[in-house]
Amino acid sequence: MGQELLRVDDLHTFFFTEAGVVKAVDGVSFSLDEKEPLGLVGESGSGKSVTAQSILGIVPRPGKVLSGRVLLKGEDLLKKKDSDMRKLRGRKIGVVFQDPNSSLNPLFTVGKQLTDVVRTHFDISKGQAFEKGVGLLKLVRIPEPETRMTQYPHELSGGMKQRVAIARALAGEPEILIADEPTTNLDVTIQAQVLELLKSLQRELNMALMMITHDMGIVAEMTEKVVVLYAGRVAEVSPTREIFSSPKHPYTAALLKAVPRIDKKASLMSIPGNIPNLIEPPAGCRFHPRCKYMTQLCVDQIPPLEDILEHRKVSCHHWKELSLESEMAA
Amino acid sequence: MASLLTYLLRRILFMIPVFIAVSVITFLITNAAGDPIKLIRLSFKTLTPTQLQQLISFYHLDQPLYARYFQWLGEFLTGNLGISLQGGTVADKIVPWIGTTLELQLLALVFSLGIGIPVGIYSAKHQYSKSDVAVTSTAIFGVSMPTFWLGIMLILIFSVYLHWLPSFGFISPYPPYWWGNYYLDAIAHLILPVLVLTFVSVATIVRLIRANMLEVLRQDYVLAARASGLKESTITFRYALKNAVTPVVTIVGLSFGFLLAGAPGLETTFTWPGLGYAFVLAATVLDLPVVQGITMIITLLVLIANLGTDLMYAYLDPRVRLS
Repeated sequence: MGQELLRVDDLHTFFFTEAGVVKAVDGVSFSLDEKEPLGLVGESGSGKSVTAQSILGIVPRPGKVLSGRVLLKGEDLLKKKDSDMRKLRGRKIGVVFQDPNSSLNPLFTVGKQLTDVVRTHFDISKGQAFEKGVGLLKLVRIPEPETRMTQYPHELSGGMKQRVAIARALAGEPEILIADEPTTNLDVTIQAQVLELLKSLQRELNMALMMITHDMGIVAEMTEKVVVLYAGRVAEVSPTREIFSSPKHPYTAALLKAVPRIDKKASLMSIPGNIPNLIEPPAGCRFHPRCKYMTQLCVDQIPPLEDILEHRKVSCHHWKELSLESEMAA
Repeated sequence: MASLLTYLLRRILFMIPVFIAVSVITFLITNAAGDPIKLIRLSFKTLTPTQLQQLISFYHLDQPLYARYFQWLGEFLTGNLGISLQGGTVADKIVPWIGTTLELQLLALVFSLGIGIPVGIYSAKHQYSKSDVAVTSTAIFGVSMPTFWLGIMLILIFSVYLHWLPSFGFISPYPPYWWGNYYLDAIAHLILPVLVLTFVSVATIVRLIRANMLEVLRQDYVLAARASGLKESTITFRYALKNAVTPVVTIVGLSFGFLLAGAPGLETTFTWPGLGYAFVLAATVLDLPVVQGITMIITLLVLIANLGTDLMYAYLDPRVRLS
């Protein structure tokens, strides 16, 4: 792998709501190398999207990044002024959102939305920006790009809209592309096309990719490293190829067993219970109320994120004693 | 552009049945007000049978109702609004009053948009701040205030006690003029009624813009624009405002028509010689041709305002042109 590009260090992002303080991201750490495709995995409410928003400094109110560091090539983004962050958003880090129906502005043409981003980051004329917009649409394999530039989002299909959203995320030629569940709101056949596109773009453009998803299938298909989040904390970090055969955290194992498989007869497992309330999260290990290996230690102490083996980290008191591999093979 | 043109044609076609329906209702209601001859006799007690016969045939009262409707509608469409029961043509009575009404309403509209939109945006961007609370409370006060009461209070303060501004009319009929000359005099007469109208409609606009803006600022495309590095001012005033203002166009357009029709209260308070005041005067003496004429003119103005609204809406929102 290449050089470390982004490091998130003990990030805390809370939402101060009327019902109480929601500890959406509570001490998340991980790193992303140059050109690396990384998966950020977890159920809804695990803090995946908020982590991405915190990196960019665009956490919506009433959310607030309280502490931690977000280092981009060694520079702490959390210490930067908003005006400096603005120059970096879209330019160093691009984002594709979940639902292209809502992430594209309905009242502006595709061309307008692309060229606005292009002209924000590059000092070029309107004509040149238009050419660049056409180039971006070609890049995301949209046919008749000149026509598409003059169309409004509602004139395009769902898959086409998401391609436009990807083109917009690429408009500033970023080094990191964050894709926040980019296929969840698309038809299944379109999903495969969009994933294929993201995969090849990541290689073509030599970008690092942060794929936010709850789908282990997408993780297997797209990424080389995976960060598993649970209730605002990191459960496990692992190379993708290892995690499927030998998960180290009981949550990861449970998550993997919740993926339907054609080659195994075993019935599909669901994880008992729900993701905890993040206003008053469980003490100790946040997964303990749902974990079948839970002991008193899990209730009393927060497990540290330990370095185990090479390139692997896990946050579980009992990882050594568990033999989750055999469980997966069954 | 072609789609916008077909859209315009379709909207105009839709206006025709509305116009016909209003004309039928207006004609029926005014005719249900009573026997026109009896009404005329109230003012002319000594009519000879010949004169009476002449009047009956002049107003076509010897013909059935539907025939009279078509005659009336035909005359209206060719620009002949009929003869006022108080003498003179209806057109001569109404036309100059259209201008004064529009002068008042358009000025108030410009002011309330000019003030309401920026204040609404500010309020939304600073939700729950002290200034937002102040703006919102004032707006509720404005929305719930009857225009005539506010008008009377302002007349009491600024005309009766302070003698700063005229209390009625739209111009002084003869010198001395307010503030020394004819034009300033007209402005002095405009201030209070425009103030009342502006205050009331600015409140509506502020509330609408604030609510829409809050809604729009939560949308993904605003977050996406921010994530793309666009300037906050670009996001607020272009990306978000265009989305927030579109529904306001509809409300303002519709309420503008409503204002034209609903102005009698305000115009009467300020003795403002506009359509609303003329309507009240004509209705109190049962001058039915004038009442009919004003109703139809207001209908036309409302239809034009609606058409303008539709066009504006289609211009702002490309999705509308399709449906």
